[in-house]
Amino acid sequence: MEQFESLLTCCVCLDRFRNPKLLPCQHSFCMEPCMDGLVDYVRRQVKCPECRAEHRIPYQGVQGFPTNVTLQRFLELHAQIAGELPDPTAGQVMERCNVCSEKAYCAPCAHCDKKVCDDCKSAHMEVLRREIARINNQIRRGVNRLQDILSIVERNTTNLQTNCAAVAGEIDEIHKRLSKALKDRTDFLRNEVDRYLATELRNLTHLKDNLELELSNIQSNCDLADKYMNDDVEWEDTELVDTKEIFLKTVEFLRNFDYEAGDYNRRVRFIMTHDPNQLVLHVASYGELNISQPNAYSNSLQPSQGLTRSKSDHRLATQFRQQEEAKGYVENDEPVLGGRKFGERRPPPPERHTREYGTTDDYSGYESEHRPSRRFRSRFVRSHQQDNDSDTEQISRVVKSEHKEKEKEKVTDTEDATRGPLSGIFRLSDCPRVMQRILDVDSVKKKEKKEPPPPPKPVQPTPQPQRRPPTQRQQSEDDEISRLKRQNKGAASSQEPDRPTQRNNEEERNSITRKPPTPAREASSDGESDESVGSLQRTQRKNSTTIPKSTVVTRRPSNTETPSAHRPAARAPSTDSSASTESSGSAVKHTGSERTTPSTTNGTASGAQRVQSRFIGAQRPTPAPAPAEPAHEDTDTSSEEETDSSEESEEEPVTQRKPESQAMARSDIGPLLARSTNARNDALDNKSKETPTQSRYRSRQPSQTEEEPSTRYGASGSSYSRYGSKPKEDEMTSSIDDDTKYPTARSRYLALKERRNRLARSKSSHTGFGVGDDEELDDPVSPTTASPSAYLAARYGSGTGGSELSRSRSSHALKSRESSPERPVSGEKDGAALSSWARYLKNKYGSRGKDRDSGGTSSSTARRLSLGLPLRSANELASSDDDSKNAAGSPISPTAATAAVAGFAAAGSSPRSQYLQKRRLLFSVGSRGSEPGCFTWPRGIAVGPDNTMVVADSSNHRVQVFDMNGIFIKEFGQYGSGEGEFDCLAGVAVNRIGQYIIADRYNHRIQVFDPAGRFLRSFGSQGTGDGKFNYPWGITTDALGFIYVCDKENHRVQVFQSDGTFVGKFGSFGSKLGQLEHPHYIAVSSTNRVLVSDSNNHRIQVFDVNGRVLSSFGEEGSEDGQFKFPRGVAVDDQGYIVSASFLRLTELL
Amino acid sequence: MAALPRRIIKETQRLMQEPVPGISAVPSETNARYFHVIVTGPEDSPFEGGLFKLELFLPEDYPMSAPKVRFITKIYHPNIDRLGRICLDILKDKWSPALQIRTVLLSIQALLSAPNPDDPLANDVAELWKVNESEAIRNAKEWTRRYAMDN
Repeated sequence: MEQFESLLTCCVCLDRFRNPKLLPCQHSFCMEPCMDGLVDYVRRQVKCPECRAEHRIPYQGVQGFPTNVTLQRFLELHAQIAGELPDPTAGQVMERCNVCSEKAYCAPCAHCDKKVCDDCKSAHMEVLRREIARINNQIRRGVNRLQDILSIVERNTTNLQTNCAAVAGEIDEIHKRLSKALKDRTDFLRNEVDRYLATELRNLTHLKDNLELELSNIQSNCDLADKYMNDDVEWEDTELVDTKEIFLKTVEFLRNFDYEAGDYNRRVRFIMTHDPNQLVLHVASYGELNISQPNAYSNSLQPSQGLTRSKSDHRLATQFRQQEEAKGYVENDEPVLGGRKFGERRPPPPERHTREYGTTDDYSGYESEHRPSRRFRSRFVRSHQQDNDSDTEQISRVVKSEHKEKEKEKVTDTEDATRGPLSGIFRLSDCPRVMQRILDVDSVKKKEKKEPPPPPKPVQPTPQPQRRPPTQRQQSEDDEISRLKRQNKGAASSQEPDRPTQRNNEEERNSITRKPPTPAREASSDGESDESVGSLQRTQRKNSTTIPKSTVVTRRPSNTETPSAHRPAARAPSTDSSASTESSGSAVKHTGSERTTPSTTNGTASGAQRVQSRFIGAQRPTPAPAPAEPAHEDTDTSSEEETDSSEESEEEPVTQRKPESQAMARSDIGPLLARSTNARNDALDNKSKETPTQSRYRSRQPSQTEEEPSTRYGASGSSYSRYGSKPKEDEMTSSIDDDTKYPTARSRYLALKERRNRLARSKSSHTGFGVGDDEELDDPVSPTTASPSAYLAARYGSGTGGSELSRSRSSHALKSRESSPERPVSGEKDGAALSSWARYLKNKYGSRGKDRDSGGTSSSTARRLSLGLPLRSANELASSDDDSKNAAGSPISPTAATAAVAGFAAAGSSPRSQYLQKRRLLFSVGSRGSEPGCFTWPRGIAVGPDNTMVVADSSNHRVQVFDMNGIFIKEFGQYGSGEGEFDCLAGVAVNRIGQYIIADRYNHRIQVFDPAGRFLRSFGSQGTGDGKFNYPWGITTDALGFIYVCDKENHRVQVFQSDGTFVGKFGSFGSKLGQLEHPHYIAVSSTNRVLVSDSNNHRIQVFDVNGRVLSSFGEEGSEDGQFKFPRGVAVDDQGYIVSASFLRLTELL
Repeated sequence: MAALPRRIIKETQRLMQEPVPGISAVPSETNARYFHVIVTGPEDSPFEGGLFKLELFLPEDYPMSAPKVRFITKIYHPNIDRLGRICLDILKDKWSPALQIRTVLLSIQALLSAPNPDDPLANDVAELWKVNESEAIRNAKEWTRRYAMDN
């Protein structure tokens, strides 16, 4: 047998003959490589290794030698007898290896995509394994990043929850407050109605009784006279005279007694301060959720890109892949893989190969099926298809994918389950191929046998239960493998000590590049590497488990991305004129029409809108109690945005609901800029139109202010006085009927009118208002019935077009001045019912009652208070000298401002009622003196962004700061002319960032202090040039930080940048429009109107920010709307202008 | 490095499993193509009793080209020079792929038994061998004792 064996062995390769060729010397050798190697190509001879005989080589080469058929038969026979497996290389033709150029049985190598010999192939596979190991290490090192992200995501989850919980809490609280305010108000109103009803009823009953008694008396008198006043009865002369007198008196009484039913027509009406629909609307949308731009979040993750972007977004996942690709994931990957076409590889050779590549195709099929993103795939394809551009490749891919999908159905369905949603990496262990490998390894291990495992078949995936630490696994596998190698292959097999790691490499690449698990390996050694696959699978599984967890959804609405630069622009059109509950589109439309339509109409239209916007702003549930400018901006902008479009409003509401401090922390200068510029533009645009109508309006204004009290209060007052001698109660009873039935009719009417008005408003037509208000004109027109514009239209007729600014303001002023039925209900009624206005007011306001000598004045005073001095925001209240004269209780004393501030702190009530609250003195601060908290000639007051009250304590040469409750906080400054020293300072202002700007009057300069009261800088000196002062008084800043100074003795206003750079000036000495004489105080409205108290001209002038005069109002006098040396001027965010003159405090416009 | 051809593996296995008497060839641990060979001096030859170390290297195209063999142990032989190079036809032009490591080593052993001074490599030795064979044999014995018998 031994010899038989040796007979079948080629003496050159010492192996069994393969395709034995018979030389003429009768010796046989394998054709390849033995015979091939014997060829002497120079001499075209072959020398027999056995006998050294030389033979010419046939023309067609060694193939031309006859095959030793006999020997071949023997070989077959022997194979049959011995039961050997057929030669794996049978039928194969030797080729030149494409790597080492040796002739061998070549098989395609997946690594280099060439046909290579086994040696090269195994070398390549080793390379792959090393790479896998290396990349695996990289992955291991990088996995913690994913874990970090995971922890971040977890943290974010909790953050999100807490955040949402906090917001929910806030909402709840607001809800509580709102409902409480509503309930309180409702209860209050009800009680008032009841009380009113009771008193009126009582009065009327009394009146009725008296009348009845009177009637019966007279009746009996008449009867008696008829009966007895004849000659029948003897009457003395005196008696007759008396009787006649009595009768005459009766006649006179009858003639004179005139029950003025009208007085009792003062029905109680329930009037909403605001259009109820709007109110409901505002309540309905009282807050919005703003998903703030998660800048920090995305920034923190920005550098880590791709994977870390926790989104289950396929688009982003694709991006990740692109980045990955761009990065050149495996550096040496490309050259080795170069030229190989992934899907095309269909090697004819062994069956096993085919199947293996089939699996490979499953991967790709899987990929192309589930990923429309070509990049991921194309990366791998393209690298092997250098000649293809991506387009063609894409096409081919589509075709391929179609083809492969079918295949996929039967073989692999399982990967989907564990596929990482972010990276598309699936768990290797779920791949049937890998499972098969692992199974094989396990079985081999169990048997400890050399016999190769059965050819792998796609099997149902069975989960791998045990997971041992991969490192240990690998170690043991190493040993096992080498042992197996030795056993299986003996010396013939190449030694590859680091297979497992390389296997790792390979697998890793599979996960990323869908590379097939090296087929050649499979062919050469079935069992040896299976274990390593198993271990790899485990590690892989471990790796991949982390991936799906990172799927986090922090979806940002894309509209929050609206760049801030864009936002102001978008907001701009609606800043001034929009904010109606209509869409921004209509708002813009209005703005447009405002510019094109005649000024007569546009005035009202825009005015109406403005008013609305104010109301919206004020109605917001903003608790912010008069934060100076920033807070004001907040409310304003938010109201705009709210109606504007939802896309912008996301940020503000949240900020709004937050405590005011946060609201003030906002330094959103962009919108402000846009706003102010916009306002400026508007001013420019409108100016030409406004000015002509302005004068008309102005002329109307004073009469209007006078007319108001006389019609309303005057009437009521006179009624009282007329009834002076009569028992009031009697008369009052007569109006009961009206009162009771009116409210319902009234409300119905309201609703109707409202609807009409809304319609009209949307068309921006004035006829609607006119029609709607016609019926009301005889009745005291209530501004609250519908929109203020409607009210205005009714008031002034549709033709009265004022500037929008003055328009809206006047509407407000009138509205509050109006003795709307609500006011009596809300408290004054008591007093009125009791005795008189004066008494009531005296009770109410104590010492200030002295101001009121008549019903008219008293009511106006009350009104003054109601608007008060109040500055709930923005512009500081410039106090005037009146303060000190009027003593502590003076309306413009800090008290009032604080009162206003404090009043606003109680959020939840409507602005209207807030305004009504302002007429009440909340508290007063200070007395004459030089101690902290005392004043000597306080000449300036301002409200800081944190609601502090800043008072220029002029003759104490210091600034005092109080909190919103009037508690002294700090003071700074002393007499002198150095830095931080004052000489009879006057105006004080606080800018948005809390810096104090102080007009140091006798030093002719402006000083700026930081929020802590430390001196920052000063500018200006005495003189008449630009940037020089002559007794600067009032000072203020606008939203942009420009400083406006009333340069009193230079009769001008100068404007500076916040750093003191001179910007401009306006005004000159004179009494013409735009000229000034001793301007004292100055204020800037939220709409960038500059109000100057033109003291010696007894008027207030309104300028735009560029110094062009827009309007002026007031004249010397003591009537309403007239001034006597007006000093302090202030404007609140709703456009109410408050001014104080020597005689009185007047609220205007 | 290309993998080891099957033939070398087979030969090595066979050398291990069926060693030739008087010859031992062990592949180097670091290079499977390099063999440490020890050949005993043939009986009835001046080299009897000596253990001669050789090195054998299988070139890349083995078996198409002959292995390179060299004596490491000094030997007094007309066909082996001082460097240990062997003048043997089968290691040169007479090489045949049918020859193997074992046959080569057997041939070398035979060469020790039958020196061929007519085809000399070490001319002085060959001359002596031709002129005064007994003295040459004595020298050879002396060298063997001196160099090949120490351990």
